[in-house]
Amino acid sequence: MTTALILLPLGGALVVWLLPLSRFWSGSIALLVGLVEVGLWIQALIGFEFRGGLEYEQRASWFSDLDVSYHVGLYGYSLWLVGLTVVVMAAAIAYAFWAGRDRARAYFGLMLLLTGAIVAVFSAQDLLLFYAAFEAMLIPLYVLVGVWGGPGRLGATIKFVGYTIAGSLLMLVSVIVLGLSQGTFDIPEGGTSSSNWVFLGFLVAFAVKAPLFPLHGWLPDAYRESSPEVAAVLSGVVSKAAVFGFLNIVLRAFPEPVEDFRVAVLVLATVGLVYGSLVAFRAPDLRGVIAYSSLAQMSLITMGVFAGNLVGLNGAVLQSVAHGLVSASLFLLAGGVERRTSTGELALLGGMARGRPALATLLMTTGIIALAVPGSASFAGEFLILAGVFDQGWAWAAIGAGAIVLAAMYVLRLISAVLHEAKGSMVPDEALDLRPAELGILVPLVACLLALSAWPAAVTDHSFADDTPLAQASP
Amino acid sequence: VTAAAWVCLFSPLAGAVLITLLGTRISRRVAGYLSTVSCAVAAVAAAVSFLVALSHDPDERRELSTAWTWLSAGDFEVGLSIIVDPLSILMMLVVAGVGSLIVGYSVGYMDGEDEERRYFAYMALFVFSMLTLVLAGNYLILLAGWGLVGLCSYLLIGFHHERPSAIAAAKKAFVMNAVGDATMALALFLLIWNLGTLDYLQSFEHVGELSGTVATLVALGLLGGAVAKSAQIPLHTWLPDAMEGPTPVSALIHAATMVTAGVYLIARLHPVFEQADFVQNLAAGLGAATLLVAGLIALVQVDIKRVIAYSTMSQIGYMFVGVGIGAYANGMFHLMTHAFFKALLFLGAGIVIHALAGEQDMRRMGGLKELMPRTWIAMLIGGLALAGMPPLSGFFSKDSILASALAREDWWGYLLFAVGLLGALLTGIYTFRMLFVVFLGEPSAFVREHLHLHGGKEGPFSMTSTVSVLALLAAVGGFVQIAGLWHLLGDFLDPATYVDREHLALVKPSTAQDWLTSLIAVALGLAGIAIAWGIYGARRAEAPRAPVARRVFEQKLYFDEAYDFLFYRPAAAFARAFTSVIERPLIEGSIAGLAGGTRLLSGRLGLVQTGYLRTYALAIAGGVALLALVFVSVRG
Repeated sequence: MTTALILLPLGGALVVWLLPLSRFWSGSIALLVGLVEVGLWIQALIGFEFRGGLEYEQRASWFSDLDVSYHVGLYGYSLWLVGLTVVVMAAAIAYAFWAGRDRARAYFGLMLLLTGAIVAVFSAQDLLLFYAAFEAMLIPLYVLVGVWGGPGRLGATIKFVGYTIAGSLLMLVSVIVLGLSQGTFDIPEGGTSSSNWVFLGFLVAFAVKAPLFPLHGWLPDAYRESSPEVAAVLSGVVSKAAVFGFLNIVLRAFPEPVEDFRVAVLVLATVGLVYGSLVAFRAPDLRGVIAYSSLAQMSLITMGVFAGNLVGLNGAVLQSVAHGLVSASLFLLAGGVERRTSTGELALLGGMARGRPALATLLMTTGIIALAVPGSASFAGEFLILAGVFDQGWAWAAIGAGAIVLAAMYVLRLISAVLHEAKGSMVPDEALDLRPAELGILVPLVACLLALSAWPAAVTDHSFADDTPLAQASP
Repeated sequence: VTAAAWVCLFSPLAGAVLITLLGTRISRRVAGYLSTVSCAVAAVAAAVSFLVALSHDPDERRELSTAWTWLSAGDFEVGLSIIVDPLSILMMLVVAGVGSLIVGYSVGYMDGEDEERRYFAYMALFVFSMLTLVLAGNYLILLAGWGLVGLCSYLLIGFHHERPSAIAAAKKAFVMNAVGDATMALALFLLIWNLGTLDYLQSFEHVGELSGTVATLVALGLLGGAVAKSAQIPLHTWLPDAMEGPTPVSALIHAATMVTAGVYLIARLHPVFEQADFVQNLAAGLGAATLLVAGLIALVQVDIKRVIAYSTMSQIGYMFVGVGIGAYANGMFHLMTHAFFKALLFLGAGIVIHALAGEQDMRRMGGLKELMPRTWIAMLIGGLALAGMPPLSGFFSKDSILASALAREDWWGYLLFAVGLLGALLTGIYTFRMLFVVFLGEPSAFVREHLHLHGGKEGPFSMTSTVSVLALLAAVGGFVQIAGLWHLLGDFLDPATYVDREHLALVKPSTAQDWLTSLIAVALGLAGIAIAWGIYGARRAEAPRAPVARRVFEQKLYFDEAYDFLFYRPAAAFARAFTSVIERPLIEGSIAGLAGGTRLLSGRLGLVQTGYLRTYALAIAGGVALLALVFVSVRG
C-alpha cells in the first residue's frame, strides 16, 4: 500500500513526460492521479489498525553490505501527514490545471514527482532512503519556483537552493555518520546515539526546512515568487517534512542530545514565534503575511515536538495537519485575489466582500481558523502544544499564548485589508466572485478543516501509541 | 433532558449552516424567518429541559452527556460534553428565549439592509456559540464557546464592513477578548498538569488539593477571561465601541447574553474561586469599580446606545459584586432580569433609531413621547426596572445583591454596599437623563424633519410585538424571587450553586437587611430620577457644568490612550524594528529591491549569481553561527 502511494504519482509523472499529450490531457491525467492518490489514502486509512507501530510496512534490501534497504511504513502520525500531502497536492494540481500553466507536461510531471517524493519522505524508514526522498522532493521544487515563478524567481530560487543545499549537506553527513556508527541505516532498528554533532546536523537541516528562526532567509521570497499552488505546497506540506524529521529521526535516535538541547530549541522556537508574528503584522502584502505566519506556526509546532510529552507531540501533529490545510487554502485564496486585482499589496486592496460572498465566506472561515479561534482545529492543536510545553516551564506557554493574541492581530488585519472598508484602488468593479472551479478546489479543503474542528481527536487519538518512546509521561 | 439540550444546542447551528449554504436561493426575509425559527426551536427545547428537570427531584437535576471525544493526548481526554443542571437550564432559557425574541425583532429592523442573509446566519451562529458556552460540560468546551461568541461578536460588530470605525471596533473587541482567552488557556494548563482533568465535576472534587498559589493563579486566569468578556475594568474599552454594530446585536450580544458570560463563569466555577479568596474579592472589587466608573461615564455620553452600553457595564459590575461575594443565585437573578430590561431598552432605542433614519445622537432628539407613545411606555418600564424601582424586575434583583453585601457584616461588605448604593443613584440619573432628553420636551427640528413612522405605526409588527413581550418580562420577571417571601430562583439554582452552609449563611441577608437595603436603594434611585428631572426634564439643560470632570469622563478616563501607549505602540515599534533592522538587511540578506534588481541585472547573470551566493553564504553562515551561540549559551 505504501509503495503504491509512492509509485502511482511517479508512474503518472513518467506518463505525462513521455507521452506527447496536449495541455488538457496532461492536466487531466495529473489531476486524476492526484484524486486516485486521495482514494488510495482513504483506503489506507480505513485499513489502518492504529496499533502504535509501523503498518503497511514493506522492505527490500538495497545495499546489504551497509544494511541499507528500501524500507517504508507508516506510523499513525505519518498517515496523517501523508493524508495532508495527497489532499493538498490534489488541490494544487487542480488549481494549476484551472489556472493554465504553460509547458504543461513538464509542469504536471514535476507536480506528480513532487507528490511521490513527499509521500516517500513521510514513509521512509531507512536513513538513506529518507535522504534520497528528501532531495527528490527539493529538486522539483527548485524547478517549479525557478521556472514558473514570478518576476523575482531567480533570486528566490538561488536563496532557496543555497539554504536547502547547505542543510542537505549537513544532513547527508549526519546520515552517513549515524548509519555507519549504528551498523544499519534502518531507522526503527537503529539504536540511539548520544553524539551532539550528528544530532546538530539533523537539527539544522530540519530547521532550514521548517524553517526556524534565524534560518528562514529563503522563506519570504520563495513564498512570494512561486505560483500560488507551489507556495501552498511549500508552506502547507513540504515544511512538514521537518516535523516528520524531528519526530522520526531526531526524537527517536537522539534522546540524550534532545534533552541537552531542549531549552535551546525552545528558545529559538519561541523567538521565531514572536518574531514571525510581529513581522507578519507589518508585512505589506498578502503572501508576506501568510509566509511569516507560517514561520510563526512552524516555530509553534517545533515547540510542541520538543515539549517532551505526549500532549505536545499530539498537538504538533494536529497543528501540522491543520496548518497545512489552512496555509494551502490561504495561498490559493491569495492566488485568487491576485488574479483578480493583479496585486497582493494590502494597501491597494479592500472592499472585496461586497458582492463576492463566496470569496468573503471562504477567506473569513480560513482566516479565523488560522488565528486559532477557540473551537477550531488549529485551536485544538495550539492548545495541546502550549499545554505540553507548559510542563517545561510556564513561561513558554505564557509567551506562546501572547503570540496567539498577535496572530489574531495579523490575521484580522489581512482579512480586513482584503475584504473590508473602502474598495481598494486595484480592485476592479468587475472582479468576479470565486468561480465554480475555484470553489471546487477550496471548499473541500475548508470542509476538511471544519470536519477536523468538529473532531480533532481523530488525529490525536490515532497518532502515537500511549507508550511511545518519543515522549515521557503525560498527565 | 440531555436530548432536549442537544436539540437546543444544534438547532441554531443548523439554521446558520442552512442560510449559508442556501445563499441567494432564499429571499432575505426567508433567511430571517429561518434564523428566528431555529432559535425558537432552541427556546422550546430549553423550556422542555426546564420542565423535565422540574419533574425530577432537586438533587437529581444534573445530567452529563458526551457526544464524542473532542481532543485527547494519551490518557488525557476531553469530550464534547454538555452539562444540564439548573444553572445551565436557566442560561439556556435566557439565551434561547431572549435570543429568539431579538432575532425575530431583527426581521423588521434589518429589513432593506444589504446582506441581510449574512446577518441572520451570524445571529444564529451566535446563539449556537452562546449555548455551547453555557452548556459546556468541561473547561475546554467552555473555552471553545467562549472564543466562538467572541468571533460572532467580531463578525456582527463589523457587520457594516465598509465603515472603518465598525471594522476597527470589531478588531478591538476581538483582540481584547483574545487576551482573556489566553489567560483562560493558561489557567487550563495549570489544571491539566495539577489535576489531570478538565472535567468540571472531577475538578471540583479535587480542587481542594491544589496549593493556594496554584488555586489563586487558576482563578486569576479564569477571571481574566471573565473580565474581558464582560467588559469590566481594566478590559472594558471594547464595549462602548462595539455599539458600531446593528442595534439588535447590541441588545443580544452586548447586553443580554455574551457580556454576562463572565458572571456565569464565576457562578459555574465557584468551587475554584472559593479556593482563592483573593480572586473572589478582586472580582467583587473590579465589579464595584466598574459599576461606579461606568455609571459616571454614562452621565456624559450623548449617543443613546453608548449610554445604554455604559449602563450595561455598570450593571454587570453589580453582578460581579454578587458572584464575587458568593451570592451566586442573586448574581444570576440580576443577570436574568438585566437580560430582560436591557434588551428592552436597546430594542426600544432601536425603534427610535429606526424611526429617525439611523440617528443615535440624543442631542438631536426630543419630544418623542407624543409621537411614539408605546415606545415611550416600553422604555419607561425598562428605565424604571434599570433604576430599581418597585415592583419592576430590577428592584428585586439589584437589591438582593446589595443586601448580600450588607450581610457580610465586615468592612469589605459595607464598602461594596456603599458603592452599590452610589451606583443606584447614578443609575437613576443617567437612565432618566436619557429618557427625558429623548422623549420629553418639544420635538426637535431634526425629529420633525426625519421622523419616519412605519405606516403610521411605531414600527413593524416583528419589532413592536417582541418589545412588548420583553416589556412584560421586565415588569414581572422579578417576582420569581421576593425577599422574605419566596426564593424560587435561589431554590432552583441551589443544587448547582451549592456552597457549604457556613459560607451560604455568610451572605444570606436577614429580612431586616433586605428591607433596609430596599428602602435606601429606592430612595437613592428616586433621588437620581429627581436630579435628572431637575436638570434635563424640567430645564432641558444640555449637561451639568464641570468641564474638567466632563472631559475626563468623555475620554473614558483615558484607558484607550493608555493601552495604545503601553501595548499597541511598543508592539508596532518592535514589528517595525524587526522588519527593517533584522529581517530585511540581515535575514533576507538582500540588496534593496531584490525583485527589481534581479530583473535589472539579469543580463549580467554570472555577476549577480556570485554576488548573491556570497550574500547567502554569509547569511546562512551567520544563521548557523547564531544557532551555535544560542546552543552553547543556553544548553541545559
